[in-house]
Amino acid sequence: MIIPEPLQLAIEEFSKFPGIGKKTAQRLALFLLRRHTDDVNRFIAAIEGLKENLHQCKTCYNITSSEYCEICSSPKRDHATLCVVEDASDIFAIERSNQFNGKYHVLGGVLSPLSGVGPESLKVKELLERLKSEDVHEVILALNPNTEGETTALYINKLLRGLPIKVTRIARGLPIGGDLEFSDEATIGRAVIGRVEYT
Amino acid sequence: MIVRSLSLRNFRIHQSSSIDFSDTLNFIVGGNGEGKTSLLEGLYFLCTTRNFKAAADNELLRFGEESYEVNGIFQDTTIRKARIYYSAADTKRHYLLDGKSITRATDVIGKFPVVLLTPEDHQLTQGGPADRRKFIDSVISQSNVFYLSTLIEYNRIIKQRSALLNLLREQRRHDYLVELDAWDELLVKTGTTIIEIRQQFIEEFNQFICEAYSHIMPGEEQPVILYPLLQGSTEIVTESIFAERLAKRREEEIRRAANLTGPHRDDFIFMVNNTALKTYGSQGQHKTFQTALRFAEFFYLKMKAGTTPIFLLDDVFGELDTKRSSRISEYLKTVGQAFITITDFSNYRFLAKSEHDATIMVSRGSIGI
Ligand SMILES: [Zn+2]
Repeated sequence: MIIPEPLQLAIEEFSKFPGIGKKTAQRLALFLLRRHTDDVNRFIAAIEGLKENLHQCKTCYNITSSEYCEICSSPKRDHATLCVVEDASDIFAIERSNQFNGKYHVLGGVLSPLSGVGPESLKVKELLERLKSEDVHEVILALNPNTEGETTALYINKLLRGLPIKVTRIARGLPIGGDLEFSDEATIGRAVIGRVEYT
Repeated sequence: MIVRSLSLRNFRIHQSSSIDFSDTLNFIVGGNGEGKTSLLEGLYFLCTTRNFKAAADNELLRFGEESYEVNGIFQDTTIRKARIYYSAADTKRHYLLDGKSITRATDVIGKFPVVLLTPEDHQLTQGGPADRRKFIDSVISQSNVFYLSTLIEYNRIIKQRSALLNLLREQRRHDYLVELDAWDELLVKTGTTIIEIRQQFIEEFNQFICEAYSHIMPGEEQPVILYPLLQGSTEIVTESIFAERLAKRREEEIRRAANLTGPHRDDFIFMVNNTALKTYGSQGQHKTFQTALRFAEFFYLKMKAGTTPIFLLDDVFGELDTKRSSRISEYLKTVGQAFITITDFSNYRFLAKSEHDATIMVSRGSIGI
């Protein structure tokens, strides 16, 4: 059977999503096709809004709809503790655990020479700038406990050596090779509390 | 672990073959190209999710067919059903364990420990360091999941590090050098763990190789495996020693854009009566050592895994003299279940067959009696 072009285009776009194969993409496209026009328009508006209304926080690179994110603007958050994460989704995960009241810094990735990600592609310089201008006493490296996350943590630790800042690494309560994003709140909470200091 | 039965559909030359096995020795008899080795291939495939001849799926698929299937029933304390299904239409291979789809090889490896002896084993003693590392690593991995995951991580570090060394060769940037420090730290930590586990393993395994060797060649010959740590150290390798060695070769590593120090370059030296087998060993000593390595692997895994491994012997008597062959035949009586391919019984009068042993005749991809 030949699939009509508009449908084919939609399938192709859906199959670019993470974890979506050809078959699922086809199901999603057909699902949209059967929906009411109003529903579909709402869907389109939601997607457009993503790009138009959201951008990176100017301080921490979290996702936000204003210039600075909610966490950076909150007077209730502890300014002296900074938690370094790979991705904005890790912030959501740690926030859900309710064990952390400091601020964040999103690196936007981890070191991976194989994928062409070097120190210059991460928000590392920006982190060092922040540490100069803000009064931070502790940096918590909350990177995924996989090979690349571990190396990135070691790298940042080397850069911060000599600064009057305590550097800790969240405890390896997390399963090896696991992602922060997919770990349950209790595990992440325990890992944040049981963080260890670099020597 | 006992293999109860195996069935092959459109696998290699087999159109539809089903075999119930004996709990003791299973002699698989047939000429070359008749499909006897395919039975071992199928068993090994189910135990490891890998094909030992590294054949592609379209080579395994019987000519002109759409799909192949390999089914096995294993028995330990419970019955387990393993199934591999491949369809040419979507070029996908599926592994099912008790009906559940398995996507990671690590979920199967170690569940059905397997030992395979093949004519290619001459590489173990005559090939390069990589052949010996592969052997040692696979024996440890089958009995130690932590070692396997450490090894996978180590290989990942090696790949990342080599990509970074490449960048550094082109451009000597300061931030890249600091990044290399970070990779070094992880390389040293993971690498030292690998060295320590290997060292401990060799110490234990040497008793097994002595025992196995003496069954095949009783008396005067003493085998031993040496493990010169980090390409030649006799002292204990600690993280700081490893780091020191690594630092010394940094310039050379950048110049050649290669990982030059670490357990991925180590070798294991096989010795007989205090002389290196590779340089001074006779043909008979090589063959004895190769066979002894597999028997030692079998008994080591049996002790470690808490279950009897599945023992596959492809053409074990091929190049052996009668004296060694009959000793191996006697030795085989002590392993329990095993699968042994031979070309023809008439040439193997020394074979000590008991009444429980099975003879499976294979010709043109069909099973006879
Ligand atoms: Zn922010």
